[in-house]
Amino acid sequence: MIAVLALAAGVVLGLVFKPTVPAVLEPYLPIAVVAALDAVFGGVRARLDGIFDDKQFVVSFVSNVLVAAFIVFLGDQLGVGGQLSVSVVVVLGVRIFSNVAAIRRHLFRA
Amino acid sequence: MTAAGKAAGKGADQAAGKATSKAADEAAGEAADEAADEAADEAADEAAGERAAAAPHREASNLLTDLFRDSLDGGYAAAAKRRKASGRPEPPWRRRTGLGARAIALALFGFLLAVAYQHVVAGAAGNSQTRADLAAEVAQRRADADKLARDAEGLRDDVSKEREQALAADPELLRLRDLEARTGLARVQGNGVIVTVSDAPAAVDPVTGRVDPENLGRVLDRDLQAIANALWQSGAEAIAINGQRLTATSTIRAAGEAILVDFRPIARPYMLAAIGAAGIDKRLADSATGKQFKRFVENYRMVFEIKARDGLTLPAGADPGLRYATPPPSAPPSGPASASPNPSGSRR
Repeated sequence: MIAVLALAAGVVLGLVFKPTVPAVLEPYLPIAVVAALDAVFGGVRARLDGIFDDKQFVVSFVSNVLVAAFIVFLGDQLGVGGQLSVSVVVVLGVRIFSNVAAIRRHLFRA
Repeated sequence: MTAAGKAAGKGADQAAGKATSKAADEAAGEAADEAADEAADEAADEAAGERAAAAPHREASNLLTDLFRDSLDGGYAAAAKRRKASGRPEPPWRRRTGLGARAIALALFGFLLAVAYQHVVAGAAGNSQTRADLAAEVAQRRADADKLARDAEGLRDDVSKEREQALAADPELLRLRDLEARTGLARVQGNGVIVTVSDAPAAVDPVTGRVDPENLGRVLDRDLQAIANALWQSGAEAIAINGQRLTATSTIRAAGEAILVDFRPIARPYMLAAIGAAGIDKRLADSATGKQFKRFVENYRMVFEIKARDGLTLPAGADPGLRYATPPPSAPPSGPASASPNPSGSRR
């Protein structure tokens, strides 16, 4: 319950304050969203599996976002551009898919 | 062969034959006994390579299967196991902190989503806005340029009217008007010919209904150049393409798909109007270029028509602009035109 409320509060804050993204952080935004999605779906699945752990969730959320941003940064610095971030999207995308599939199995038994 | 080399060879042979770690150890031992340390290293390397080859791609396939099978962070299971092992419920302070951290993380996530969404929306709006602004500016500038060109033409008409009044008695006036007509500085009227050129209709596949992207009958800038030159050769005294008068410095160029005359795009069908002595249409049709385009019509279905037309009016060309002459710093006395020669002193 508190989780849904916090999520809603975050969305409302974002919509109300309309923060402008600094140009420096712009390239990291999409990949950070994907990484955060992965952590959140992982947390939901763990919750349904009955093994949710707050510390694990928070740590994985923060580290996912940071590592994804770092990989994008590294790709920029090495001059390979978006190619490194493709790996992030692939790995996290696969994880999101299978976590969502597990959630679906929990919820619909199918 | 040195002793070390021999030892390495022997060790490698043994290792390859048995392909066990024991063999590698033995080989390493023997080599160390017999010769230098490098030989032993080499033999051990050799044996290790052999072992790795026995289980091909195990690491690589593990990575992928792990990725697909254990998509959940291992930490959750580990934490659950720890909790079970300790057997005690969590202390309340820890619960509260955890709840707070979870709430903060989720709020951050929501914030991130909202920000990303707004960023994307703003970016899309900005892009289309920029394009619309640019298009509007281009249209505005083009309209301004057209208006200025019309103004210039009107002023030029005024100037020539004034001049005609001033020089009414001068025999030079005729020569001046003739020169103006030839250089494209003045509007001209006369009988001549209109040449219409256009692309061949796109070939459509009768079965699939697909349009063939390669149209050999497309009109290129080269074609218009050739026709314009053929018209000059056939005795044209003035030519305009789609209402754009050609002067001695006019350009006909291609920019991408479009053809530009004096840097202004012109659209199909291309109409070349030329004023010249009677029979210019016949001369053009009989010229090499005329015959060539007749072949283009037959072979590539390009549109090419020559029609004699009476009473053509061609506009004045773009103002050539003065490059070197500048008006004198002080306005000259605007007295009646005396017999003094014109400032450029071209009369010799």
